[in-house]
Amino acid sequence: MSSLSSKSAQEISDLLDEYGIKHGPVVDSTRSLYEKKLKEAMAKGKRASSKPSSDRTYYREEEEEVTYVYRTPVRSDGAGDSGSYMSSRPGWTEREYEHETSYSSYSPLRSRSEYSRGRNYVDEPRMYDTPSTYRNSYLKSTPMKSDQDAPKAPKSSRLIPLWVQFVFFLAVAVFLYLVFSSMETNESLQGIE
Amino acid sequence: MSSTSQKHKEFVAEPMGEKPVMALAGIGEVLGKRLAEKGFDKAYVVLGQFLVLKKDEELFRDWLKDTCGANAKQQGDCYGCLKEWCDAFL
Repeated sequence: MSSLSSKSAQEISDLLDEYGIKHGPVVDSTRSLYEKKLKEAMAKGKRASSKPSSDRTYYREEEEEVTYVYRTPVRSDGAGDSGSYMSSRPGWTEREYEHETSYSSYSPLRSRSEYSRGRNYVDEPRMYDTPSTYRNSYLKSTPMKSDQDAPKAPKSSRLIPLWVQFVFFLAVAVFLYLVFSSMETNESLQGIE
Repeated sequence: MSSTSQKHKEFVAEPMGEKPVMALAGIGEVLGKRLAEKGFDKAYVVLGQFLVLKKDEELFRDWLKDTCGANAKQQGDCYGCLKEWCDAFL
């Protein structure tokens, strides 16, 4: 392998792209830094893919956000694509799909899954437009989960399972109720009123 | 968010003009001298490098470490200082 310092700036730049190293222009002051980075990358044996740009901008996430929350009935007319699912699994499939895409549509790129996990039982489906990638990811996850009609979906990889969240919420509610109910008001106000 | 030093505050309060490289947060005498030896004698030259590295934190930190041997804290201070300056003035 020819030494890095004999390569042209353009070649260095291309190599950096191959290794997926984010970089700026290769100028005199930055060259040694990039050469060093390339050496490290080569030593680590990173996959030197020839793809020119990383496709990190995909918005789909493959198996993470299947939400089984039973939500309000779906206004299904907008999402034409969900029609293809209807034949196989009516009812909840649509709802989830709409629900799924609503998160995909308005949450930002990476935190989308977190939003979905944490808040999927709060928001309602609103969006009808779905890029094909969402469909694909959904299509992948749909066949795997067949019988889940219940609002709880422990199979998806959440940080905290949904049922645990429900239980916790109920526990907090019960606790607060007990606290409030055990507080004694001064019914016989002595002299105050 | 960690608190910023006095040096940082002073630096980001106004355009850097001809301030020396030691005016940067995180860059003291020793590091300043090393940078100056490599040609980065003014703060704006380091700014130039920062911009050429596309204001990327990792790249800039690596470069700073390689060029003058700054430790992690110093790298972070300098990066933060320049970034904030750029947000305000660039």
